[in-house]
Amino acid sequence: MPGTPRRRRRLTALLAAIVIGLVPVLAATPARAEDAAVLKLAAIAEIDSFNPFTTYLATPININRMQFESLVEAGKDNEPVGGFAEKWETSPDGRTWTFTIPDGRKWSDGQPATADDAAYTLTSIMTNEKLASANGSLVSNFASVQAKDPKTLVINMKAPQAGNPGLEIPIVPKHIWEKQADPSTYLDEITEPVVGSGPFQVTKYVKEQSVELKANPNFWRGPAKIGGINWVYYKNIDAAVQGLKAGEIDLVSGLTVAQFNALKNDPNIATSNGAGRRYQGLAANPGMTSIKNEPMGDGNPVLKDPVVRQAIFMAVDRNTIVDRVLGGYAKPGITEVPTVYKDYFGLPAGAQERPFDIAAANKLLDDAGYTKGSDGIRIDKATNKPIRLRLMGRNTVPEHSQMADYVKPWLKQIGVDVTVQMVAGSKVSEDSAVGKYDLYFTGWGIGPDPDFQLSINQCASRPNKDGTGMTSENGICDPEFDKLYQQQHAELDPAKRADLVKQAYQRIYDSSVLDVLYYADQLEAYRKDRWNDFQRQPSNGGPISAQNSYWGLYSASPIGSSSGNVGNTGLSTGAIAGIVIAAVVVIGGAVFLLRRRRSTDDRE
Amino acid sequence: MSDAVPSALAPHEAVTPSDEPIRGASLGRYLATKALGAAISLLMVVVLGFFAFRILPGDPVLSMTRGRMVTPEEIARLRREFGLDQPLVVQFGRYLADLTRGDLGTSFFYNAPVSRLIAERAGSTLLLTGTAAVISIVLGLWLGQRAAWKRNSGFDKATTGLALVFWSVPTFWLGLLLLMAFGGPLPTGGMITPGLNATGFAYVVDVARHLVLPVAAMVAVTYAQYLMTMRSSMLEEMTADYLTTARAKGLNEDGVRTKHAVPNALLPTVTIIFMTLGHLIGGAITVETVFSWPGLGYLTYQALSAPDLPLLQGTFVVFSSIVVIMNFLADLVYRVLDPRLKAA
Repeated sequence: MPGTPRRRRRLTALLAAIVIGLVPVLAATPARAEDAAVLKLAAIAEIDSFNPFTTYLATPININRMQFESLVEAGKDNEPVGGFAEKWETSPDGRTWTFTIPDGRKWSDGQPATADDAAYTLTSIMTNEKLASANGSLVSNFASVQAKDPKTLVINMKAPQAGNPGLEIPIVPKHIWEKQADPSTYLDEITEPVVGSGPFQVTKYVKEQSVELKANPNFWRGPAKIGGINWVYYKNIDAAVQGLKAGEIDLVSGLTVAQFNALKNDPNIATSNGAGRRYQGLAANPGMTSIKNEPMGDGNPVLKDPVVRQAIFMAVDRNTIVDRVLGGYAKPGITEVPTVYKDYFGLPAGAQERPFDIAAANKLLDDAGYTKGSDGIRIDKATNKPIRLRLMGRNTVPEHSQMADYVKPWLKQIGVDVTVQMVAGSKVSEDSAVGKYDLYFTGWGIGPDPDFQLSINQCASRPNKDGTGMTSENGICDPEFDKLYQQQHAELDPAKRADLVKQAYQRIYDSSVLDVLYYADQLEAYRKDRWNDFQRQPSNGGPISAQNSYWGLYSASPIGSSSGNVGNTGLSTGAIAGIVIAAVVVIGGAVFLLRRRRSTDDRE
Repeated sequence: MSDAVPSALAPHEAVTPSDEPIRGASLGRYLATKALGAAISLLMVVVLGFFAFRILPGDPVLSMTRGRMVTPEEIARLRREFGLDQPLVVQFGRYLADLTRGDLGTSFFYNAPVSRLIAERAGSTLLLTGTAAVISIVLGLWLGQRAAWKRNSGFDKATTGLALVFWSVPTFWLGLLLLMAFGGPLPTGGMITPGLNATGFAYVVDVARHLVLPVAAMVAVTYAQYLMTMRSSMLEEMTADYLTTARAKGLNEDGVRTKHAVPNALLPTVTIIFMTLGHLIGGAITVETVFSWPGLGYLTYQALSAPDLPLLQGTFVVFSSIVVIMNFLADLVYRVLDPRLKAA
């Protein structure tokens, strides 16, 4: 069968031509076919649900900030401003908070938004334990909630509370939610447009691919200047950066320093390092105890001596870490409150910061009687053993191992030997909760009100010996701190409260259980050829996305009409190149086949 | 080494069924032995699926609630809801009882049935891994037999060398290079263009566009195993006497190759192809991560970080069972295809 191989060869060439011919078809489809005025953001992290009662993941919480207003929103400088409620009053004893919802407020479906909706939402969290999973801790001081009339909502507190109870709890429409058989699973999937009061509502959710939001025409501050927002799912940030460069998306947040610096040179892209809301610190185990004062964990006993902890923290240079590990994109840390909350940031007036001073740290340890052995490692005077400490960090956070590379030699200089252990994040969580550590890198995102973060440092917030029960941030018990916590909790005068908060933080600072190293900037990049006018939060130097409220994305406006890049329906350069290549290959293939056939025929 | 469309086999290994059937054994006995082996493997999978993941460090409830505002009541409620407050034996009993009903449990993290989570992603994973496997198998086998036939020629050296280079390239790195080179004309992630709302042919084209880069990356790092297997198998056949006979009958070289050598050389590739089929459902974590493909590989990876025990158990049991079943089928098919293994 002499014809078979020839036929096969021809078939192969034809297949190749078809495959290559497909290239222009595949490449020519517009990358952005939708309406211009839709802002596209990369979503890097997971989404479990859009249910504001149950979800606690960062991405759905950020999306829900667009959908559901709280009674009180964090303003452009993180100050409390009107949200679902227009104004509020506190009784002189701090036990009764009264919120006013103005006439004419509407949900996105046109139904009136009233105090009834707020009462329904808050009562649901208080009475249905399944609906308490995301925000239960925020209502734990609520005694009762009542809608006196459609305009007036009253919250009675169990104990006086200075922090505004209307912050951070998304209010949902009663007329939609009370119809749900199981409200705790509602909005796990999106089957119809979500009804909310915020500037945008989710209309479509394709799992692990995209979330589409449309502007709410009834938003009380006025409809957004853009038609909507799409969160486009990326499972790794490098691909999202390529998507930004290619124009598939408009804004990427959470960039690494290397990505951020590389994007600075792109003419179509603007970079933004907004001050972040998260602290990153180095914790030392002061000899953790349970809520019943039983010793917990396996911390090195030498760390029970505050002098040792202080010396360790004095040997860690926060500025070097900021410059070398964070590329300068961070602010050196002091207390747990980051710079964006200027009222509560820093130590009280007159308090001294711990210096970076290795010589002074050595002197502290010398004076305390920790002598150096022949290998330069100091001896614990109580146990007569060399001081060797474990330093734990997350193997998924590159900064942890990079910081460890600096911390280890620094501590060596003061005669403390360090073994670095980079482990799974879940192991860090588990071990730190039960005091199984000497030193470890820790970090928390901080909300606009400092109450919660302080509350988890009280004696009463220590866990049970097996790690169940309460969560303690630093495993301490300091009655003086507890007193300051209680005072700030009930202090209605903002200036006095701020001072009490700083004093409370100073107790943690002086006890040397936590060295706050830095507040990392939020590294973002966006298409400046398409978008501008992003409102920062705080307005001076804050980030654009993932704010405490909706300002950044609500304020976005496209540049002129051209920005719109109303789907580039024309062919891209790549597509044109593809077509040319395909044409050459197809014609070349045909010529080749003809020639081949002829020559084979000749041979035959 | 690639982890896409994984195979435990290195490309240079000549592939034979895992344990050689006993020559002369009756078909019934052969079937019974293989079926029993598969059943024991399945049982091990079920037991291992439960206990293996409980060795993992990390309390799921603590790691899910760490770093956010939660009350102790909420933590206790989660433990109760997940059944983690029960002794291990009780948990195991519940797991077995659920499994016999076909219930894989409810994911801690997604708060949804594990079987639904797997089913939702199975289609997109199979589309990606299946397309890549078909192209990779066809390309690998075709190039492999050509390379063997022209042994030590420029073509042989070039194709083999290139295949091995791609095989050695880290998938993640290759994927990112493809993104940098072709991102723009082709999509940088996902399976459909968000906001496009395409239907019909436009939808197919849209998905195909998204498929190009991930499939290219997967094919590049996997086709070598088929090529090398086919090549070595073909080389063995090339010295066989029946080819001389075929030539003596007057067949030309192409005819000898395609009609006689290739069908015999294909036999050892059966096992490797079935193993590939078994692993298709497991997805390809690296490729799915680089190209943001909504698939099962990434779901498993995500489950590990919590750890989301029901999701880990469920995916492990499903994926492993499919591999066991495919290996069993490979043993059967091999016996049917190769008359030498049948009873004497």
